[in-house]
Amino acid sequence: MTFNLAISFADLLLLLPEIFLTCWLCVVVIVDFACPRIPQERLAFLSVAGLLATLGCLAWFDLSHVSGALFGNMFVLDRMALFFKIFIVGATALVILTSVQYVDRFAFFRGEYYVLVVMSALGMMFMASANDLLSLFVSLEFSTLGFYVLVGYLREDLGSNEAGLKFFILGVFAAGLLAYGISLVYGETGKIVFSDMAPTATSGTIIGFLLIFAALGFKIGAVPFHSWIPDTYHGAPTPVTTFLSIAPKGAAFAILLRIFFVALATFKPVWVFLLVAVSILSMTYANIVAIAQRNMKRLLAYSGIAQIGNLLIGLAAGTKMGNDAILFYLLAYLFANIGAFAIVIAVGQAIGSEEIDDYSGLNRRSPFLAFAMLLFLLSLAGVPPLAGFIGKLYIFVAAMKEGLYTLITVGLINIVISMYYYLIVVKKMYINEPIDPSPVQISGTMKAVVYVGLAGTLVIGIYPQPVIDWVVGATVMFANFAGPSAVVTPPVPPFGG
Amino acid sequence: MLEELTVGFPILSCILFLPVLGAMVLWMLEDEDMVRTSALAITLVELALAVYVLLRFVPESAAMQFTERVRWIPALGISYHLGVDGISVLFVGLTAFLSVLVVIYSWDTIRHQVKLYLMCLLALETTTMGVFVSLDLILFFVFWELMLIPSYFLIKLWGGGAERHYAALKFVLYTLLGSVFMLVGIALLNINFHQWASLHRADQTYSFDLLELLAAPIPFDQQILIFWLMFMGFAFKAPVFPFHTWLPDALLEGPIGMAVVLAGVKLGTFGFMRFSLPLLPDASKSETVVTVVVILGLCAILYGAWMALVQQDFRRLLAYSSISHLGFVVVGLFALNFQGLQGSLLTMINLGFSTAGLFFIAGFLYSRQQTTQLASFGGMAKQVPLLATFFLIIGLASIGLPGTNGFVGEFLILLGAFKAKWWFGAVAVLGVIFGAAYFLWYYERAMLGPVGKAVKSTMSDLQLREIVIAVSLSVMIVWIGLYPSPFLRIMNGSVQALVDRLNHDTVAALESSTIEEGR
Repeated sequence: MTFNLAISFADLLLLLPEIFLTCWLCVVVIVDFACPRIPQERLAFLSVAGLLATLGCLAWFDLSHVSGALFGNMFVLDRMALFFKIFIVGATALVILTSVQYVDRFAFFRGEYYVLVVMSALGMMFMASANDLLSLFVSLEFSTLGFYVLVGYLREDLGSNEAGLKFFILGVFAAGLLAYGISLVYGETGKIVFSDMAPTATSGTIIGFLLIFAALGFKIGAVPFHSWIPDTYHGAPTPVTTFLSIAPKGAAFAILLRIFFVALATFKPVWVFLLVAVSILSMTYANIVAIAQRNMKRLLAYSGIAQIGNLLIGLAAGTKMGNDAILFYLLAYLFANIGAFAIVIAVGQAIGSEEIDDYSGLNRRSPFLAFAMLLFLLSLAGVPPLAGFIGKLYIFVAAMKEGLYTLITVGLINIVISMYYYLIVVKKMYINEPIDPSPVQISGTMKAVVYVGLAGTLVIGIYPQPVIDWVVGATVMFANFAGPSAVVTPPVPPFGG
Repeated sequence: MLEELTVGFPILSCILFLPVLGAMVLWMLEDEDMVRTSALAITLVELALAVYVLLRFVPESAAMQFTERVRWIPALGISYHLGVDGISVLFVGLTAFLSVLVVIYSWDTIRHQVKLYLMCLLALETTTMGVFVSLDLILFFVFWELMLIPSYFLIKLWGGGAERHYAALKFVLYTLLGSVFMLVGIALLNINFHQWASLHRADQTYSFDLLELLAAPIPFDQQILIFWLMFMGFAFKAPVFPFHTWLPDALLEGPIGMAVVLAGVKLGTFGFMRFSLPLLPDASKSETVVTVVVILGLCAILYGAWMALVQQDFRRLLAYSSISHLGFVVVGLFALNFQGLQGSLLTMINLGFSTAGLFFIAGFLYSRQQTTQLASFGGMAKQVPLLATFFLIIGLASIGLPGTNGFVGEFLILLGAFKAKWWFGAVAVLGVIFGAAYFLWYYERAMLGPVGKAVKSTMSDLQLREIVIAVSLSVMIVWIGLYPSPFLRIMNGSVQALVDRLNHDTVAALESSTIEEGR
């Protein structure tokens, strides 16, 4: 393999968003240290401004169809990568906005919290573009590094420490699996770029890819790699939980799509089976366990695992349409989840609790928050005409076209189960009497995040066509994907004969 | 095969969205009387629009009328497609009519959170209308599901019973369980259309549009599968025996206004007529399906009537009588002939007046005695003669006395059932006898004879608002009973078209004819 490391200026343009964000990160650090008395809100808004500028740049790339590959195909910028980068940067900006008041709880707080958040986002942006095993490993660890610190940020809090430790040990273990998997695959194929690989089914590649899948399964929190999720989500500072529940999922799906559809295209029948199993496990396990939860963060953690199960249905379909559906669903999930978590943060600040029982009578205390929460939960459950419904419909249609009826049936039964625990929260908010009837006040930035979540949930639900056009364009690289079909659907013969 | 008549003005959209927009207006109002008056005004305008549609509707035609079509999500073939035909247009009128009455009824019976209550009612009206006027299956499904949300809150927040939380959750989960299966059926229809379109038209379109789906033939085994999937959705909602267990709970625990809409507007059986029968004609007339469904229907007739006979609580009695009546409707539908279908459709409308009317009566009794248990009634006719009279009129309509609307519908159903198979009719007739028994027996114990111990001596007879409700229902009952032809004329064209579609020999014949047209 020859590496061409001579980079022209035009090539560097492809890295412009990442380079810009890195520089901005330095600016934030410098401002933080140079002006010790600067109010921390300013730092937050400074970071958000940088993220928005990056977002603008990414949007410009997307509109002008900039694409290309760098460093011997280690780093690719195609429309799918751009989609995921926009997803990640947007989510990060919203997460920082939800943190503005929350950071007051951090002892010895300095601006490094924002730096760590943006740094993780930077790592995930590289993940979205990673096109070989090495950049996969490096970018994945890069993004996780920030999280290790962030999860344990509440240093006085035992829960947060426990969460940090659990996340770290299991995360490092997953990294070990990943490295081992990569070495096996490389040893067998001698290639690291996904598109060159064309592996044959030897025991080395099979074990290697299973290990890689396990590591990525850890990242997205699919059952049976989910065990870190509930405690980590529960213990981590809530904005970090928000971040953890959204952005890394998107980045990991970018990698999964590239691995399954590019590197492993020839193994489709095998991985479809694997994904079906993981998807069924994730949905069923998470939805059943979620019923018993009494803490809002844990409930959302399990609901998040179930949503991952839904996303895997789309992946298991193994078609371009399935991938469109995944991208669409991720967006719907982004808005509903960030909105729901923003409300958890806001309520947590006002009443100092994240227990579901303390949401009693929220409707009397803040009709706006209760109504927004209702919409977010219904969108997660997939009630029309909210974004989550169109997302689920899209995924189910895609899977059904491939004849995955068992999976669909399980998915649908799970919708009913999930409705049950979402309704428990709704019941608490609307029916129960508040313990303390004083109104819940929320700050302007939180309100802004909730509004963004509402707008996204409603607009994507009611008028999804532009978003569908966007995701269909983003997965155009899979248009000619013709791996051996898992379920051969014969053309329907003319009827009656 | 189905032509569409469009008018320039999007009147169905107005009908569809007026209540929900009205609900938003209510949200901004503060004064409670103002809220009530506005809600009444909104429902009256809605009724006026619905009556206008009924008057402008071209009878004896199978065409979809007043259609509107906008592409909504072209990538998945979802469109915003509205229209009414002879099957659905009467339901639009019925829903608007009942909504007015419910608002009038709720005027002084709902005391807390009046604004939210009326907003939920109006939202429920929009979603119900949406189910009737949608010609796109996803649009239909959207309204079908959305209906659960206002219903959930109505049962939970304004229900009278102690078990209302359980009832609300049961209602939502049961209906949802049915409708997720239906969604699979809908998606299968879509995929079938996609495959057909790519073979015959060489384009890769998806469609959820009822009229387009009707053009694409479906292989028989697929039809059977889709039929049962959609059956789950409709059977849970209707509810068809043995999926009925949520109904008595929801009707008993929920507020009267909700019960009127839930029991009066027969969404589930409408679904069979609108989607299952025309889309899946071969499955619908296959021996197994007809036998199974009709037997379920007959079981419902007998079981419902039998259970109603022993109920002490009037609302429970109504719930079971409702199940029994739905059995009639199902038998009529799957008799699959003109009389059966026409009778079923008319009966669905009739029940909107009679069952809903009896629920209003139950409400009147409830507001006098704070319960609907038989133990607290007895000999009430002496104290409340007007109430007793209307109770009798509406009740007799519900058991199908000649001269009332119930007779016309049930007679047509029985005719259709006898034509299909003699024993369908023979068993169904038993239901009529039971029906008369449970109603008259209950009426006798509640209204006639010696005055019950628990009956308050200060009980007042019907007030003006209640008289308005009772009289308007009675007028409709007698009108349809004595002069049903305007209603039958409206539905004839569509029912005939449906029968023709069902009588097509095989799918193969249909297929060859479409190919020839293509050439």
